[in-house]
Amino acid sequence: MYNHNEINNDIRFLAQSEIRLKILSELYKRPDDVRGLVKKTKITYSSVSSNINKLEENNYIRKVEKKYYLNHMAKVYLKALMDFKRSVDIINNYDSFWNRHNISQLSLDSMKNITDLKNAQLIETTPLDIYKTHNATKNQLIESKDVKAIFPYLHPEYPKIIETILKNGGSVKLIVPKTIFKAMMTPVSSKVKNAAIKQGKLKVYTVTSDLNLYLTICDGKMSLGLFKNDGSFDQNRILISNDESSHQWAEELFKHVKNMVIK
Amino acid sequence: MTNIETKKELNKEFRDVKYILTSSMRAKLLLAVYEIPKNLDELRNELKKPSATILHGLKELETINLVRKAQKYYELTSNGYLLTTNMIKLIENWYALGKSEAFWDNHDLTDIPDDIIKNIYLLKNAEYVNSTTSDLSIAFNSYIDLISKATKLQIILPIYSENHFKHIIDLLNKNKLDELDLILSDEIYKSINNNELFKEELLENKKVKITVIKHNLKIFLTSSEEFMSLTLFFKDGHYDDSQILIGKDKNALKWAENLMKYYGG
Repeated sequence: MYNHNEINNDIRFLAQSEIRLKILSELYKRPDDVRGLVKKTKITYSSVSSNINKLEENNYIRKVEKKYYLNHMAKVYLKALMDFKRSVDIINNYDSFWNRHNISQLSLDSMKNITDLKNAQLIETTPLDIYKTHNATKNQLIESKDVKAIFPYLHPEYPKIIETILKNGGSVKLIVPKTIFKAMMTPVSSKVKNAAIKQGKLKVYTVTSDLNLYLTICDGKMSLGLFKNDGSFDQNRILISNDESSHQWAEELFKHVKNMVIK
Repeated sequence: MTNIETKKELNKEFRDVKYILTSSMRAKLLLAVYEIPKNLDELRNELKKPSATILHGLKELETINLVRKAQKYYELTSNGYLLTTNMIKLIENWYALGKSEAFWDNHDLTDIPDDIIKNIYLLKNAEYVNSTTSDLSIAFNSYIDLISKATKLQIILPIYSENHFKHIIDLLNKNKLDELDLILSDEIYKSINNNELFKEELLENKKVKITVIKHNLKIFLTSSEEFMSLTLFFKDGHYDDSQILIGKDKNALKWAENLMKYYGG
């Protein structure tokens, strides 16, 4: 039985050798012989063949008529290991986004499913375009029919944006700090607001506790922003994604924050 | 020799995975400070290693920005927290697979999508039940036992089994079971439809919601508010009624819910 608090020897055996991991991921895609593996991986014949032997001895692969196949369980274990690898890739690829930022309001589930963000794009401002992040999210917001957002701070353009979405017949669901509720909603035309509330198209949750993240979901596109460890919002970086897995990821996170801050 | 470029690329591709997973000291340190920051004394007591070894490991983790030191206490950075959370997921995935390896290894898993497989850690508290040669129906009886207590059931049903149908119909008629969501392949649906009794009692029953999907599924998944259960097919295509995996905690239910959702449930 495995101890479930530590890295066991099987994980270690696989992780020890980049060559073995490479061979396994190639065989996962397609069974092949040694020669084919050498060609695909550009690893020398002798390395491939000695590692193939080790993998075979440890029951990860088997040989059927010259070709090597991953064993049934090896495939499943490899999926778990590659999921870990991809999570590490995402942490590293967006290092400037996570590093020295407050992630306390991300749920454990959202962290465990961080690979859902694999197609996300990190948008960073540049000295030539200091509003790049704001404009990217603004464009997403304005064109959308269905908006869910966690706004931890007030941007002067938000009331206008909210009004525009509602005027176009869209629906808006917000989580905002109580302190900015008035400033955010008062400028929105009462007529538009009231009509939207009546139709169930406007819902604003106010919270008295701290909000530590910025999240928008606009017709299935999501963007995420974080606070720095010094407590200020990082306006210079935002993670944006259009694909379905990020969308679902963001929906879950929205639900989580809503449950956490709304009593 | 493998050429240097290839080596570099491979090295880059798997560097961190290897660095973390192959050193038990580094991995243990990450796990040790996962819940709360700890100082050197506490780490030494917990890990039963000399200070020098621990300090060396901590230095390495500080260098790659997974750990930081704040007033004598070592804590995870945000990167460190994200990574360790995923390392725990890996360990638990491995544990859940190893714990029920005979179950997973025996069966065709192709209808369980990768996104659901990679969250198999959710089943770490699930147990599988085996029929034995002296009692061939242990698995089936456990199943009937479970569903007979439910008021709401959702089932991906990949087999045409009169035995199962009869029990389910019985539960519906006894008024204990109020809601039944059945997800069926086209083929199974048609077979049920051809049987007058089952057609009337299942397909035309107000308590039953039917979802028909084109694909012939190889998973028999059931969930209620109290449990989830899974039976599968052998790799040769035959249904296996001798092994059933049963989970009763929140995580197991979530795993089942995700799989149901994937197939339109």
